[in-house]
Amino acid sequence: MKILLAEDTQDLNRVLTVALEHTGYEVDSAFDGEEALDLIMKNGYDLLILDIMMPKKDGLEVLQEVRRLNNITPVLMLTAKAEIDDRVAGLDAGADDYLTKPFAMKELLARVRAMTRRRTEYSTKELHFGDLTLNADSFELSSENAIRLSVKEFELLQTLILQKDRELDTSWLLEHVWQNATGAMDDTVWLYISYLQGKLKAVSSGVRIAGSRGGKFRLIEQKE
Amino acid sequence: MESIYADRLPALKAVLDRLLDRVEQVRRELRSATGMDPVEHCLGRIKSEESMREKCRRKGLPETTESALTQIHDAVGIRVVTSFIDDVYRIRDALAGMEGIRVVEEKDYIRHAKPNGYRSYHMVLLVDEQIYAEIQLRTISQDTWAALEHHMRYKKTLNGNTALIAQELKRCADELASTDVSMQTIRDMIMGQS
Repeated sequence: MKILLAEDTQDLNRVLTVALEHTGYEVDSAFDGEEALDLIMKNGYDLLILDIMMPKKDGLEVLQEVRRLNNITPVLMLTAKAEIDDRVAGLDAGADDYLTKPFAMKELLARVRAMTRRRTEYSTKELHFGDLTLNADSFELSSENAIRLSVKEFELLQTLILQKDRELDTSWLLEHVWQNATGAMDDTVWLYISYLQGKLKAVSSGVRIAGSRGGKFRLIEQKE
Repeated sequence: MESIYADRLPALKAVLDRLLDRVEQVRRELRSATGMDPVEHCLGRIKSEESMREKCRRKGLPETTESALTQIHDAVGIRVVTSFIDDVYRIRDALAGMEGIRVVEEKDYIRHAKPNGYRSYHMVLLVDEQIYAEIQLRTISQDTWAALEHHMRYKKTLNGNTALIAQELKRCADELASTDVSMQTIRDMIMGQS
């Protein structure tokens, strides 16, 4: 796990670098915005920690440049307590989280853990539920037989498996699987649920999706 | 040389016609009920003299009428290719439910696909406790796939890429199966069955 830390205050930079390295992260330190941007262009990082107030280029400019290049690496902004506008501007420019100075080292490490954890969770190659295996590389759904899912079918089933402990209602699915795309409606969800129902049977799985048109859905294991 | 079927050829032909007639009948019934022809095409044949003798030899059986009619079960063969998965099961039920017919063997390779991706519904019928007929039912996409897979199996030169081709055929089989299910789902919605 590799982190870029951009902080112009020498002491703070050193303390943070040591603490992060001690926790097991690989850290590259930059002391101004230009240096940070150079490193980001050269290397791949799992997380960027950017101070807002920095010489040459400030943290906001770096962030805007990073997002303009379609780089989606998670960004944690460090802001001074008074700079509410900076926090808002940072989040609007595509930061994922912020931390106000001064902060406790414990809190910084907890946020870094949270921001790097999500990526590994979602990059799980294989998901399982009952007699089902869903492969994220090939979009293959398998039980006794195998079948290839379309992108949307895959995303819907992946969501149902990851959220297996609760019922997901139609509007929640529209928001989280379809990102409220124009043209997506309650019946779109129902159609894709129906596709998956058919495909679960086609692989001879005992798993079914409980729920009805426009309602709430949840995976269940059907006893033969 | 006398035919391996001896004087049974007319009886085989009669069974073939009877089965084909039943398929045509279901086809008409479903077409008038749903406005859609369930059958894309339907082929029937009496296994040729040469292939029957060859099959006897391959199975180590004497080349006799007895072997051809009782040991081997595909002297009469029918393949029905449908547009949708549900139609496979409709035709299956229509044939299995005919008077004087007993299903002696049945393999659902659609629900239980073969490891290479092959999907079809196979059934052996015994007609009037005398003549066997082998039935293969599948969708258009399963039929297209089977044709290509058959071609690969009998073609020697694959430029050494047999494993890659087999792997890609398996992937296509699983994608086609997925599309077959989607098409069935859409049709059910249009027909108001879902």
